[in-house]
Amino acid sequence: MNTRIKQILEEGAVDKVLAYKAVQGFLLPWMFTRENAAELEPWEPNGARYPVVKLLLAEVRKNPHANLGILVRGCEERAVRELVKWRQINPQRLVIVGQACDENLAEHCECWKPYPDQLDYGTACEPIRESRRVAELDAMKREVRLDWWLKQLNRCIHCHGCRDVCPVCFCTECSLEHVDLIPAGKLPPDNSFHLVRAVHMAGRCIDCGLCEEVCPARIPLRALYKKVNDLVEGIFAYKTGGPGDKSPFTLLGEELVLPLNDR
Amino acid sequence: MVTKRFEPKILAFLCNWCSYAGADLAGVSRLQYPFNIRVIRVMCSGSVSPHHILHAFQKGADGVLIGGCHIGDCHYLKGNYMTMKRVAFLKELLNFTGYEPERLRLEWISAAEGRKFARTVRDFTEQIRALGPAISFDAVPLALNFG
Repeated sequence: MNTRIKQILEEGAVDKVLAYKAVQGFLLPWMFTRENAAELEPWEPNGARYPVVKLLLAEVRKNPHANLGILVRGCEERAVRELVKWRQINPQRLVIVGQACDENLAEHCECWKPYPDQLDYGTACEPIRESRRVAELDAMKREVRLDWWLKQLNRCIHCHGCRDVCPVCFCTECSLEHVDLIPAGKLPPDNSFHLVRAVHMAGRCIDCGLCEEVCPARIPLRALYKKVNDLVEGIFAYKTGGPGDKSPFTLLGEELVLPLNDR
Repeated sequence: MVTKRFEPKILAFLCNWCSYAGADLAGVSRLQYPFNIRVIRVMCSGSVSPHHILHAFQKGADGVLIGGCHIGDCHYLKGNYMTMKRVAFLKELLNFTGYEPERLRLEWISAAEGRKFARTVRDFTEQIRALGPAISFDAVPLALNFG
């Protein structure tokens, strides 16, 4: 981490860089400035996974005119791009430093792009083209799939953890807290809770999988959102988190590929 | 003994400028259509959030119909494109989570298409009747059946 990040700090391209620091053997997200740049350690392959883009967004909101840097993985780079498309981050004030994930992590995530385009540390490993879990679910009959999902979703304890950790959940007012739509104090919550979240993830979910890792009820949310991404790709020919500045749900009108054969 | 025919509950979101006027025309033209439909008038089909559709299913609607202006006719120019994107996505999502996507229907009905409105309601009601009551959208506690 010390080479590239130190360089951008010293060049003055950025004021702060969000990277990692080992504290008692654990890598934790850490904000580096020119003052504590000496604490930067050499980069090593690691499996540290935190909602760093969420931390970045909090920093941007606190201090919108600062120039920031961030050390990202493939998924986190996609998150940054989506936030730029949704006008939450100014790309002119952001410098991206990328690190690649190792094969184990890519396998665990069934990640379709386990490396950022801006790659500074590590070597890119082979992406996983197809999700085994989604394929298993697709192969089920619809009634069986409903039972399977009900069994999973009924464990929900309505903690909002999936939303709170999600790097692309940037709204300041959340419809999941609307008591007329999702009654408060009902357990398990209405199934529409998860479906509403899935609808919101259309064109936004960058498949980092933090929602599933944080879920205390171990609901396989990642399978749901992976499918959401597949659907968005199928219907709108849009790969979430790709370069560009358009996303199917950020604009009104016909500019994106639409299912016109439907009607 | 005569068994009672299943009467589905259908919720319709109709846009103020086209479909609602179409329904009005069906009324003043004395066109017959089933009574299973409950209409909510909205300013634009694009203002129907997926939340409202899901909430309707959650509250026991057997079918949801969304009526909007034809593409290009939207009073707000491009609202119905958003409806189209949303409904296309939502149908697929419902299918993936095991619900019947046929219970959600999007139809473009202009203010002059009273006949089309009546026909759509007839069609849709028969279709939902054939499907039977909707599977409960409510979370069923499976306390002893965690697996």
